[in-house]
Amino acid sequence: MKPRNLCLLRALLPVLGCLAAAPVLADRPVVRLDIRNHLFWPAEISVPANTRIRLEVTNHDPTPEEFESYELNREKVIMGNHPGILFIGPLAPGEYPFFGEFHPKSAQGRVIAR
Amino acid sequence: MLLTAVIIVLREVLEAALLISILAALSGALGIRRYWIGGALAAGLAGAIVIAGSLDTITAWLDGAGQEVLNAAMQALIYLLLGMFICLLILRGRARTQSGIGMKLIMTAAVGLATAREGSEILIYASGFVMNLPQLMSVLIGTSIGAGIGISAGALLYYLLVSLNDRWSRRVGAGLLVLVAAGLLSQATLLLTQADWLPAGLPLWDSSALIAERSVTGQLLYAMIGYEATPDAFQAASYFGGGILLLCAALIAVRYRRRAGDHP
Repeated sequence: MKPRNLCLLRALLPVLGCLAAAPVLADRPVVRLDIRNHLFWPAEISVPANTRIRLEVTNHDPTPEEFESYELNREKVIMGNHPGILFIGPLAPGEYPFFGEFHPKSAQGRVIAR
Repeated sequence: MLLTAVIIVLREVLEAALLISILAALSGALGIRRYWIGGALAAGLAGAIVIAGSLDTITAWLDGAGQEVLNAAMQALIYLLLGMFICLLILRGRARTQSGIGMKLIMTAAVGLATAREGSEILIYASGFVMNLPQLMSVLIGTSIGAGIGISAGALLYYLLVSLNDRWSRRVGAGLLVLVAAGLLSQATLLLTQADWLPAGLPLWDSSALIAERSVTGQLLYAMIGYEATPDAFQAASYFGGGILLLCAALIAVRYRRRAGDHP
């Protein structure tokens, strides 16, 4: 594809994304993360760099938690005994810490992109 | 636990408190009575309770994107309301005689939405400790301290704005509203990216070495002007595009008022 067409495609992406969000979701690599006793399991997750990842967080505690990361620019409440989905990346290779905002001392983890 | 509560509550209260202070100060400069704030806070609290009580359902909407889409919609709506407010503020000029019912409604809606959004998160956080009495005490104390600091910061901004004369308080207030609104729009964009409704790119820049988002300055700037250390292209574009759009609307309003003033 010519660079110019690519630019046009990029400009149209948000529109296309809104129209066709559901089919796009299926293509993302899925990474699962559990919250138990205010801890993340696993506390370290490896993801491919420069790739958009579908992160499925399941909170097994009865109390709510908030998945938060300044480095990933993410913030999402995960209700007690409920799942939550969020998308991270594309990430440059490196380490990206995240934490549970409601229990920041125990709930700590990091994403490693390589 | 206490410190965590202080930080969480402060972050949420600060965002709403700064918006309320600016609008309260502008109400004064416009000669609008400030009774609307009570109504807005009551409506916001009711909204916060509804959102907090049904967040598990909301989260599951739209294939799991419900939380992000609802929050983004609320923030985009506040952006539009503030844009309308700024235009009305300019068009109204120096007149202090009109009732300003439209402006009161817009301010009520904006503050109500902001309070519902920030309040629901505090309620959800606190709800996790209801069954845990010893921790609940420190959470409640932390909540009071956090709310106290947030409200004090709002009060400080309010008194700074009202200490200016009407004309300058209106100008500075409107300027701050543009920044707050642009910040909200870029937050809305970020949420849609998080839900994969918008594509994501690598960060355009990284200013975290200069001002870290987790630092006090970073948090204040985030609450005030939507500071982000590592924004991607969509976020930056929505921030600056959203801000410029409001400035253009404001300029059009200024020209319109001047013309109306020249030919009464």
